Amino acid sequence: MRHACIGIPSFLILAATAAAQPATTGALDSPRSPRNASYTITARLDPASRAITGSEVITWRNITAKPATELQLHLYWNAWKNTRSTYMRESALGGGGGDGGRAPNEWARIDVSSVSVAGVDRTASRRFIAPDDDNAEDETVMAVPLANPIAPGATTEIRVAWSAHVPRTFARTGAVGDFFFIAQWFPKLGVLQDEGWNCHQFHAGTEFFSDYGVYDVSLTVPSGWIVGATGVERDRRDAGREAVHRFYQEDVHDFVWTTSPDYLERRARFEHATLPPVEMRLLLQPEHERQAERHFDATRTTLKYYGEWYGPYPYGHITIVDPAFQSDAGGMEYPTLFTAGTRWLAPARVTTPEGVTVHEAGHQFWYGIVGNNEFEDAWMDEGFNTFSTARAIAQVYDPNYLALRYFGGFVPWVFKDIALDRETQGNRLAGYRRDAKSDAQSTPSFRYFPSTGGSITYNKTALWLNTMERWLGWPTLQRIMAAHFERWQFKHPKPQDFFAVANAVSGRDLTPFFDQVYRSSNVFDYAVDDLKSVREGDRYHTTVVVRRYGEARWPDFVKVVVDFKNGSRALELERWNEDDRWKEYVYDRPVQALSAQVDPDRVLLLDVNYTNNSVTLEPKGPRAATKWSLAWMIWLQDALLSWAALV
Amino acid sequence: MSAFRAALEGLRRVARAPALIGGVWVLTLAISMPLAIVMRGMLAEHLGRSLAADASMSGVNYEWMQEFASQAAGVGVTFRPTIIGFGAVLDNMSAFVDATARPAVIVAAAAAYILVWLFLAGGIIDRLARDRPSRAHGFFAACGVFFFRFLRLALAQGIVYGFLFGPMHRWLLDRLYPRMIHEVTVERTAFFARSMLYLVFGILVAACAIVFDYAKVRAVVEDRRSMLGAINAAVGFIRRNYGAAVSLFAIDVLLFAAIVALYALLAPGPGRTTATILISVAIGQLYVLARLCVKLAFWGAEAALFQSRLAHAGYTARPEPVWPDSPAAETI
Repeated sequence: MRHACIGIPSFLILAATAAAQPATTGALDSPRSPRNASYTITARLDPASRAITGSEVITWRNITAKPATELQLHLYWNAWKNTRSTYMRESALGGGGGDGGRAPNEWARIDVSSVSVAGVDRTASRRFIAPDDDNAEDETVMAVPLANPIAPGATTEIRVAWSAHVPRTFARTGAVGDFFFIAQWFPKLGVLQDEGWNCHQFHAGTEFFSDYGVYDVSLTVPSGWIVGATGVERDRRDAGREAVHRFYQEDVHDFVWTTSPDYLERRARFEHATLPPVEMRLLLQPEHERQAERHFDATRTTLKYYGEWYGPYPYGHITIVDPAFQSDAGGMEYPTLFTAGTRWLAPARVTTPEGVTVHEAGHQFWYGIVGNNEFEDAWMDEGFNTFSTARAIAQVYDPNYLALRYFGGFVPWVFKDIALDRETQGNRLAGYRRDAKSDAQSTPSFRYFPSTGGSITYNKTALWLNTMERWLGWPTLQRIMAAHFERWQFKHPKPQDFFAVANAVSGRDLTPFFDQVYRSSNVFDYAVDDLKSVREGDRYHTTVVVRRYGEARWPDFVKVVVDFKNGSRALELERWNEDDRWKEYVYDRPVQALSAQVDPDRVLLLDVNYTNNSVTLEPKGPRAATKWSLAWMIWLQDALLSWAALV
Repeated sequence: MSAFRAALEGLRRVARAPALIGGVWVLTLAISMPLAIVMRGMLAEHLGRSLAADASMSGVNYEWMQEFASQAAGVGVTFRPTIIGFGAVLDNMSAFVDATARPAVIVAAAAAYILVWLFLAGGIIDRLARDRPSRAHGFFAACGVFFFRFLRLALAQGIVYGFLFGPMHRWLLDRLYPRMIHEVTVERTAFFARSMLYLVFGILVAACAIVFDYAKVRAVVEDRRSMLGAINAAVGFIRRNYGAAVSLFAIDVLLFAAIVALYALLAPGPGRTTATILISVAIGQLYVLARLCVKLAFWGAEAALFQSRLAHAGYTARPEPVWPDSPAAETI
């Protein structure tokens, strides 16, 4: 009962209040967040030289219990200054493309020309630091020692001027042709916590973390170019061949913008009986004009299901950006704006663009509203959101099919025989299976191995959440996630905060489960090792041996069922101790056994080898192998004929 | 004889040589079957006595396919969803034009297949050029006579195709294409650019294929021993009969495209019951057979075109070959 008090009533209250708000001004009726890091920014883009010049005023309040003796700011774009940054070194470690043969003007940089704090010029004292790896060549974090410490609760004004060069896109940021997507682009404060500054360098495998505030941003771009940005456009002034667009948004922790002369602009509205309305603005590539409604539908799906499951979307507006081909800007979340991603040829019943649209719109909830530290605990938004995406997709887009792309990735072919299921494909079991042992999830995300971290961040979390759903039931998991959402919205939750909510709402100690899935890189692999059923007199003596091949141990009852040929079934529920590696079950019955299965309901979606979870005495393996090898042989014959065409 | 009539004549000649069609089909089966048996063993071992086989038998168990792929090695890595139905054709065509690397075991099988085709090519062209049964001894004698000549020709083919699928392909699609689309922000523009490069690459490959085909035809019909001479003669023939040779090739490509399109419409999934599985396999083999017929018909058509345009009336082919060699061209 306690969980209901935490979750549902307050969720409904929030829905009611949100519904009464002005929808499209960028203002919220009352502050939702501490608003301790607010930015007023003025910036100008010169598309020809791909240069940005900007200045900002940061109004920052120290909300910790300790005085601040220095400031730390992210200068993310310096990660793409050369190949010696931590970002580029990690990319190379993970097998990334390195510099990709870039021309010199396709790299990025951000240079701070002046910085003053409370009117005191601190430009000369600024220096680069590398708190994560001591890489002296990394210039993505700038420290500014303060002349006068900022006391707890005190507010100060920080003025920064800078210039930057827009790269050809790195990490969904940059330009190609006349398409500009400008993210992580301004000098941005880290997060001061009681333990000190949390201001990580830019890493190849992780994203961002910052405090909430109010953003008031004026952008100067060529006249006639369409601009999309975080927040609401409050003002637009033409100034000769340029135009100044002013965007405003409260209670967000980042600001992104995009501009291009080519965008088509479409608008639609999300309406719901109990959730607040949301104005949707879609900036679309002309070649995707016919897919506008697919983008809106997917966004509506997100706002509806995430809203019903977790809590309402409070901002009243959202901007969907369909990025240009080759921009590599697709599939990324920012407050009140996200990039989707589709293809020119996008068949029906395939979730492109729906999959990425639902996922990135979903980040408005897990990342935007609940602002966990993506450097350290990326699974808290990416994993929660991957699970939620798969669940939402299954509500609306079922069945959806596998599509593979050919001829340079341009031509799709839909495999109508392969309907993708939510549990394994939606939660990306294949990737997790491949990388399961690469890192323990409790390792700070930025220390994951770069090329496999995604499987631990996204896939493993989604799988263990779905496992929780199958184990505890959706109503319980929904209450857990709604309670977590409500308690930690516009705040910075840590893993233990989620675990505490989960224990409280479920009414049980889930620590052993989280020990297995979060604090360990062990894998689950239960198997039926043997099934024998031999006649002894007028009865059949049946033995079943179940093994635990993986090091991970399911903390609850392990279910084993044995089916007999007369339709009867034996059910075993047993807890396995830490030392238990196998169990034997023996039956003497008048009928022969047919099959045995461990975890027949597939509760444990993290089991990396489900094929060995069952054994039957009437195996169809040889016939299935014949069927599939004959299908494969046609592929081989066709391949041989293709090459023999040259003879 | 026009190109169209030559194409019809090629089809007619192939239709009159059912043993030839059956033979190359059996050959294709013989090369692919051992690997299919290996694959079957891998799949059966992985499925074991699992109930996962039931789902695999009654449809597509994609989750099991992914699980198998995660531990597969050797030929097993090619067991992917793309093998299903028409996906198999797209996968191979795409790999062909994109020069995608294949696992060593598939390359080895393709090399063996090509080698056997090199051996059979002399006999096949001889049979199609004569347009009358040459019987087994005549067929294989012709195979033997021309095998070593065609091996020498294959050396030239290897150099040319190696250049085309190696440096030329890399230059076109790995260097030129990225440069062409460097600042392109519209996918269909990039696709158009890539399609144009495919076309350029295809024309180069086709041009070489036509030359090598007529070199083989002239080698057989005129009993040529010098393969460089045969290539030279083929170039001369094509130059003098440019329209017909190109038209005939275009007709052949259209025929091939028609078969592929038909298979795209008909290609079934892997089947759910014994009957549908058998139907699926049968349709797949009919497709393979149709492709083989197109290949043979093209050789037949090229031989017919050459015979109608250059050889004198009634001139069909070199004399009945007797292993190891046959000395002279047949004359009336």
